Amino acid sequence: MQDLKAVGKRIPKIDAVDKATGRVEYIQDIKLAGMLHGKILYSKYPHARIVNIDTSKAKQLTGVRAILTGKDIPEIKFGVYKDNRPLKTGKVRSYRDEVAAVAAIDPEIAQEALSLIKVTYEALPGIFDPEAAMKEDAPLVHEEHKTNILKMPWKLHYGDVETAKKETAYMVENRFSTTWVTHCCLGTSGAIAQFDNTNNLTIYTNTQIPSLAQKDFLSALKAMGLRDKRVRVIKPCIGGGFGSKLDTYAYEYLSILLAFHTRKPVKIVFGREEEFFATSTRQPTIMDVAQGCDKNGKLLFRDISMVLDNGAYTSWGATTPSVMMMPITSLYRVPNVRYEAMCVYTNNTYSQAMRGYGNPQATFAIESSMDMLAETSGFDPMELRRINANQAGDVSPQDFQITTCGLDQCIDEVEKRLGKKTPKEKGVGVGFASLIHVGGGARVYKSDGCGTIIKMDDYGKINLFTGATDMGQGADNMVAQIVAEELGLDVADVHVIHSDTDVCPWDVGAHASRTTFVAGNSALGAAKKIKARIFDMASKQLEAPPEILVMANRMVMVKEDPKKRLEIGKLLRKFHFSTNGEMLMAEYFYDPENENLGRDFKGNTSMTYTFGTHGARVKVDEETGKVQILKYVAAHDIGRAINPILLEGQVYGGVMMGIGYALTEQIIHEKGEIMNPNFRDYKILTIKDVVPIEAPVFETFDKDGPYGAKGIGEPGCVPTAPAIANAIYDAIGVRIKDLPITPERVLTAIKAKKKLES
Amino acid sequence: MGKMISFALNGNKMAVEVKDHWTLLHLLREELGLLGTKEGCGSGECGACTVIVDGMAVNSCLFPGLEIAEKDVVTIEGLTSPDGTLHPLQKSFVENGGIQCGYCTPGMIMSAKALLDESPNATEEEIKHSLAGNICRCTGYVQIIDSIKSISEGGVEEVHVVAWKNKEKDE
Amino acid sequence: MKQFAYLVPRSLDEAISFHEAHGDRAKYVAGGTDVLVKIKEGKILPDYLISLKHILGQDRPLLNQETGELYIGSFVTHRMIEKSAIVRIHYPILHDAIRNIGSVQIRNVATIGGNLVNAVPSADGAIPLITLDATANIQGPKGERSVDLARFFLGPGLCDLERSEILIEIVVPPLLLRTGSAYIKFGRREAMELPMLGVGVLLSLGESSVTCVKARICLGVAAPTPIRALEAEAFLVGKPIDGGTLEKAGKIAAKESRVRDSIRGVAWYRREMVGVLVKRMGLKCMERIKKLAQ
Ligand SMILES: Cc1cc2nc3c(=O)[nH]c(=O)nc-3n(C[C@H](O)[C@H](O)[C@H](O)COP(=O)(O)OP(=O)(O)OC[C@H]3O[C@@H](n4cnc5c(N)ncnc54)[C@H](O)[C@@H]3O)c2cc1C
Ligand code: FES
Ligand code: FES
Repeated sequence: MQDLKAVGKRIPKIDAVDKATGRVEYIQDIKLAGMLHGKILYSKYPHARIVNIDTSKAKQLTGVRAILTGKDIPEIKFGVYKDNRPLKTGKVRSYRDEVAAVAAIDPEIAQEALSLIKVTYEALPGIFDPEAAMKEDAPLVHEEHKTNILKMPWKLHYGDVETAKKETAYMVENRFSTTWVTHCCLGTSGAIAQFDNTNNLTIYTNTQIPSLAQKDFLSALKAMGLRDKRVRVIKPCIGGGFGSKLDTYAYEYLSILLAFHTRKPVKIVFGREEEFFATSTRQPTIMDVAQGCDKNGKLLFRDISMVLDNGAYTSWGATTPSVMMMPITSLYRVPNVRYEAMCVYTNNTYSQAMRGYGNPQATFAIESSMDMLAETSGFDPMELRRINANQAGDVSPQDFQITTCGLDQCIDEVEKRLGKKTPKEKGVGVGFASLIHVGGGARVYKSDGCGTIIKMDDYGKINLFTGATDMGQGADNMVAQIVAEELGLDVADVHVIHSDTDVCPWDVGAHASRTTFVAGNSALGAAKKIKARIFDMASKQLEAPPEILVMANRMVMVKEDPKKRLEIGKLLRKFHFSTNGEMLMAEYFYDPENENLGRDFKGNTSMTYTFGTHGARVKVDEETGKVQILKYVAAHDIGRAINPILLEGQVYGGVMMGIGYALTEQIIHEKGEIMNPNFRDYKILTIKDVVPIEAPVFETFDKDGPYGAKGIGEPGCVPTAPAIANAIYDAIGVRIKDLPITPERVLTAIKAKKKLES
Repeated sequence: MGKMISFALNGNKMAVEVKDHWTLLHLLREELGLLGTKEGCGSGECGACTVIVDGMAVNSCLFPGLEIAEKDVVTIEGLTSPDGTLHPLQKSFVENGGIQCGYCTPGMIMSAKALLDESPNATEEEIKHSLAGNICRCTGYVQIIDSIKSISEGGVEEVHVVAWKNKEKDE
Repeated sequence: MKQFAYLVPRSLDEAISFHEAHGDRAKYVAGGTDVLVKIKEGKILPDYLISLKHILGQDRPLLNQETGELYIGSFVTHRMIEKSAIVRIHYPILHDAIRNIGSVQIRNVATIGGNLVNAVPSADGAIPLITLDATANIQGPKGERSVDLARFFLGPGLCDLERSEILIEIVVPPLLLRTGSAYIKFGRREAMELPMLGVGVLLSLGESSVTCVKARICLGVAAPTPIRALEAEAFLVGKPIDGGTLEKAGKIAAKESRVRDSIRGVAWYRREMVGVLVKRMGLKCMERIKKLAQ
């Protein structure tokens, strides 16, 4: 490998200094002249008919500028299924349903106005259990839909599962479940909308998808009768994403509508409680899993069916099965696979994307089941995994082309670091689980692309306009380091401008761990164009053919004779300030050669796949059922670490989030109402809960990745829960199949086991 | 209802009129325009609003504004020298990956400062105990602990500074 | 947030007279960590907050060397108690409890008085102090009085304070020789927890260092108020203390508890944990007695 100066280095996050000094602006910090403050009135029922809304009193309150109800606004449909509206008319379908919105001169007045709005409801019977909602006589959440079961196509069958079942030597069949958890971004959601005189819209909003949000808002404007307008989406610095901002939300449309009605900028920012109940969760699941292997331990089939609680409206949560298919068909070699998932409307909150996008749920079931299969078949759990591990060159049943694969190494490394299981201490056990995730983009839309524009000034400094969205993960570093490396510059020479649709090129969004790979390749493409131009120029000056030139230390030089060199700034000035002067600018749009999934869900959705294995050593308190993690190892094949410090940050953060998912986090619903909308009772882990984590990485240098890199944003929290569940089983012989693994559940299982034994 | 009070903000004496019901967070952000202090929950549970009053870390979201009368208030804006030199803690957070989205960062750094001002050689145990009220969703805390430990245990010099090379070359 | 006037009396008498003047429209505030949260949530709507922060008093726990009594001024912050060496060494049960209340930021301002007057079943300050047989000194328009802390709590959010009365200090009587005490806040994570259960145990042993001469078991979140497990205490007195007796005492205490289901935990589990934790805290008391003897 060549000697690299910027790539592979522990370079601090570019915006870290501004963040450490409190200088960056989040939506909370932005104030526009004349800005009004918006607040939203939510439903008081999980399911009810809206009989009347009386806003007369609220309208009289001094300082109120606009009050909107469903009747006052045009038909703006949003969400994956277009089944949601910014303000509900006719009926409400969940507690988070928006009923009215107010704009006032300050947040307190807006709040007070909400309390003066009188809504009369007629309660309807609600439905909160997805399996019950599937029954014929269940109350309908959307009458026009005729059934609560969404018409979603999640069904595949590769090979022949029935025949494989007959041939199988060992088989396990189990039901698993996962519940609602939520992103808990520390910076709450918010947006500021502003129209100019001719009704072009500028919206500052917390989003992971500036370009797609722009499209959504354009169609909202159209519905408002504003055709052929411009929408500029600016994403300020955001206090965490984790998938929560992959869709557009009612509050964004409401800020737009209120701004339109008042002709003033309108800001809506959520409080913490609102953030808990009015933003979306990870998709809860009920999963029936069967797997079988032959007598040599080779997996023969996987047969999985799921019921997903969709909640009252449809956002990306309903499409998580498309990603669950990935581990189901392609985690380990498994020739025969059947999968079916049903999403069911209920009067609960609706789900969204969240770090891993279905993969954590599916992997929990698959990897727990793998351990159960290991026990049934008499194989050591790691051995069983090694027998079936994916290998470079494989094509999985879903047509995923595994280009590079470090799964074997990851398994070995985790096993080595956690030690062999014996001698056994009472109540202590180790458990493992692996993962596959897209690591080279994911073609969900027709385009999986990202654009980059590079502009170079007279001093060799770069403005880099990227489509990539940084939300703290370090997208800005990835592109800056790659460009600096390619052009022999310092990272500080590259100023990254992102997340403004007026300035930056298109990008499909910060999802699917795709940014390093796709935006990285895009930046690399633009840098290469610039480089070619510079070599052209330098070649004339140095009287040397471009092929023998290199760039390093802000110079262009002859590779074999580094004394023959030019300072880049000087060269650029020379060409700028001469007749027919020229300056350097380049654009590049990278769209990977991955494929959309076909009707049969086959297709190489990603250019490459990230693999990893996690392992935990736990100690279970058999009297209280409490689980303590003594050591955690998360090994990943990431292609190449562009920036180890940021990479480790993604893994540590992912693992701690995964441990929360496994052990403590849960949104507690009672008949559709969220009972714990605060950090007191929603148990996100604290610094005192940190466990010793080791995060070894394997570099497999993917041929398509920028400098060999693959994505790593999500994997950290994918196999955490099953690794812990498997460790608990190893420790005390009880199998917990429902998340979170609370002390109550562990103790109940211990008691059941004791009862069986006596 | 409002009262004139005087206090020191980041070392500068000032007198302001404070309404009785304002929290310190409101005073700082909405009235004085110091936006570095963040609000993550408004109810004492996340630590994003942490500032230091008379040497003690407090949640400014629950601190009555009037209670800072005649006191010393230090916010994140007060840590950086006028010439832009970062406080060692800021520098260490930057270099050790203690910052991702950054929303928790000002609060984290203020809590860490209050701790190190009191016990400069704080152990990992003490660091965890003292930062338990500062929630971070991004980092998993590991690099935050590293950031503080590298100062409490060996002085700033030992922080690995690969990253800073870029900058030094500039100078 | 609701607007209010913030009054800053300089003496107890002044505070009481302010409160009398405004009656139900006024609320005392010490650290404000409960009061301000409740105002923000719209759960209380006072027009006047009367600050107790500027009334001169002790700012740390003080041991009266002559009587052996420990005095804790009501306005002492949790942080001062946490840092007190006297408390750490001689009243470890109080240290156990206080050091895990909220966060440093909360403990820097929140007071022990506020914790007690707030009177939630989960108040971490109440359990150890009841276990230590503390009394509460109260001052009001009609003068001063004292109540046994064990009788101070009347219901969730309700304590034995008349209108305008102020809790001024807590007095912990001298400890017997060979006394150990311990508290555990049982929750789901390591910090920032309101307990699913709080268990405090105090044991004093006779001269032989075997037989129990005094036992106190106090439970938080096991009933609408903090409660003592009187039967379990009685069971222990006169018995040699070991794992077996403590286990039995735990079972008795579990029966005495009046736990219920809530989002923080289910009743059956809480009850069972009373048993486990009483035993564990008992063992910790024994450890501490041993350590003290060395
Ligand atoms: C984030 C967070 C975490 C917390 N964690 C815990 C925890 O772990 N354990 C726990 O037990 N509690 C916890 N609490 C609750 C609270 O902080 C404590 O109960 C605290 O001790 C209250 O003290 P304070 O001085 O802030 O009370 P304040 O809010 O000032 O007052 C509380 C109540 O007592 C009255 N009052 C105060 N002092 C007096 C007095 N001397 N005489 C008469 N009336 C008085 C007030 O009128 C008010 O009704 C937490 C609170 C928050 C916000
Ligand atoms: S905003 Fe003050 S603690 Fe969260
Ligand atoms: S860096 Fe995002 S919350 Fe801490």
